[in-house]
Amino acid sequence: MNRPPVRRLVALLAGMALAMATIVVRLSVLQVSQADAYQTRALDQRLSTVTLPAARGQILDRSEEPLALSLPARDVYADPRYVVDPWATAVRLSPVLHMAVKDLLSPLTAHTSFAYLARQVPLSEADRIERMHLPGIGFLSSTRRVYPAGPVAAQVLGFVGVDGTGLSGLELQYQRLLAGVAGRRTQELDPSGQPIVGGIDVERPPVPGMDLVTTIDRDFQYQVQAALEQAVKANHAAGGEVIVMNPHTGEIYAMASYPWFDPNAFSTAKQSTMRNAPVTDAFEPGSVCKVITAAAAIQERAVRLDERFTVPDQMQIGTFTIHDAHSHPPEPMTIGDIVAQSSNIGAVLVAQRLGPARMATYLSRFGLGQPTGVGFPGESSGLLLPLYQWTDTSLATMAYGQGISATALQMAAVYATIANGGVWVRPRLVRGMVDAQGVFHAAPPSPTRRVVSAETARAVSEMLAFTVQSGTGVAAQIPGYQVAGKTGTARIPKPSGGYYTDRDIASFIGFLPAASPDVVILATLDRPATIYGGVAAAPLFQTVARYAIERLGIPPGDRLPLPPHLQPVG
Amino acid sequence: MILGLVALNALLAQSSFRVDDLERRMVALSQDHLELVHEQATLSAPGRIAAWARRHGMRLPDDIRFLHVPPAGPAAPAGAADPLDRLQRTVSHVVDGGP
Repeated sequence: MNRPPVRRLVALLAGMALAMATIVVRLSVLQVSQADAYQTRALDQRLSTVTLPAARGQILDRSEEPLALSLPARDVYADPRYVVDPWATAVRLSPVLHMAVKDLLSPLTAHTSFAYLARQVPLSEADRIERMHLPGIGFLSSTRRVYPAGPVAAQVLGFVGVDGTGLSGLELQYQRLLAGVAGRRTQELDPSGQPIVGGIDVERPPVPGMDLVTTIDRDFQYQVQAALEQAVKANHAAGGEVIVMNPHTGEIYAMASYPWFDPNAFSTAKQSTMRNAPVTDAFEPGSVCKVITAAAAIQERAVRLDERFTVPDQMQIGTFTIHDAHSHPPEPMTIGDIVAQSSNIGAVLVAQRLGPARMATYLSRFGLGQPTGVGFPGESSGLLLPLYQWTDTSLATMAYGQGISATALQMAAVYATIANGGVWVRPRLVRGMVDAQGVFHAAPPSPTRRVVSAETARAVSEMLAFTVQSGTGVAAQIPGYQVAGKTGTARIPKPSGGYYTDRDIASFIGFLPAASPDVVILATLDRPATIYGGVAAAPLFQTVARYAIERLGIPPGDRLPLPPHLQPVG
Repeated sequence: MILGLVALNALLAQSSFRVDDLERRMVALSQDHLELVHEQATLSAPGRIAAWARRHGMRLPDDIRFLHVPPAGPAAPAGAADPLDRLQRTVSHVVDGGP
């Protein structure tokens, strides 16, 4: 028997009401209580945010010729899940990427969804690969840093890693300014990845890095490096360094250290060739330090310029015997003769007049034992023992530049002080920055400090001119110019104490024209076959000085008189 | 009304594509510019020029010469305005090797 229809209808109605209520509740949940969350999720699905990399600034020479710049490139990667034929793919990619097939097979067959095949691939090569339409091969935008002049000023410039971050040199020192600030772009995209018209499109543009204008003269730097390489090879030396700087502004025109490397292929270079040795490596400077002894003694009036010293060829200091480079009978010498003939004993006699305290003061005032402040990564302070650690022999050995260490840059700054009338100027490698609008912002002038009086500096300059005219530095002479400078031959200390008897650093530091210097030049050779600075390093100085005269247009200028002397004039 | 909205939407889409194209073109031109800067810097690199010069038999001068230009006189003689005449007079005062 059939059930009454009313009850069935009521049951149906109740069922429908329940269903409707469920729908209403669910709709309320979706449309009201969770509406914001779903709206956000939907928007997130449509929104795409990409980072807009900032273009890294260029590094320019003093004439704004590019020394380092960034070019667009691509990183090539593989998704091995979609690579159909790894071997055939590797064979096709090998000649374009300049990689061996076996090196490509490994990432192409890896159990992953992403593996780099090559990074920073030039666009032309990446385009060739893209045209091959190889399944499973993809590309990412990237940049690559190039150094158009190759190894020119390589250690000064440094290099950047694959992620575009400076790892050494100026690239590291000025990383923040060169790198700029990355931007962001957020767009609303349809499922096919096309921007939705009228949708969200917000962009924070990247701020490109600033261009760095260095004090380096690219062409002159090349000439300096060529001269240095030739001198190292001719003297069978292990290496060498050259610095050329303006004594008045502290600007460094050239700074080289041999052997060097090519920053375009830094990954294959030896670690030792990457250091900017004139700034990072300290050495015992030897006789080039006598200029400090002489300047201090004159400034403190510890000696008269015409005073006659009787100088033997050896002297006992405690348990040590100090020698001159050549044996000679006791000779009368002025302080000018002592500098010109580079007498160790004479320098010791002068230093003894000064005493340890004043000697230590002037070594420090000339900038030894402290960084120059050039700001270069890894700059060495050298080593100047505090006065309380000096031994019986310290005063004597420091008088002629042993028992103390300094960087080439510190020593160049010492001679720049004399050339600049007694005022020390902080060396600098950067002239300024160029912003994205092309506006040049000059770096502030280098800080200065007076070390000795102008009269003292002039007296020392006369001695240095005498050194080149008649002393140990005759090989640095340039016809028509009066050159002032000093030779140095320094023993290399052993790590275990004492000195090697067969390892020396030959050096020559000077400036020209002697009366009104435009340029200071330092030249050192590490372990040359002929050890003496006057024989090995002075010719290198002379070659660089001739280039400087041509490149910088230095006129001959006036001549300084010679200092009081007893030794014959050559 | 509907047709108008569709047309407006199409125009906006067209502009969007055009902006996109122009942006792509700007990026491509910037890349070309950088490549040209790189090429210029590579071609003017001193090492390359020095090697080229050596291959063509060039060498650096052996000595340094300075031209000592006499101070300008109160009145120039007739014809002295000619730069070649001035150069000839200057060269006659050349002093090799300085003072």
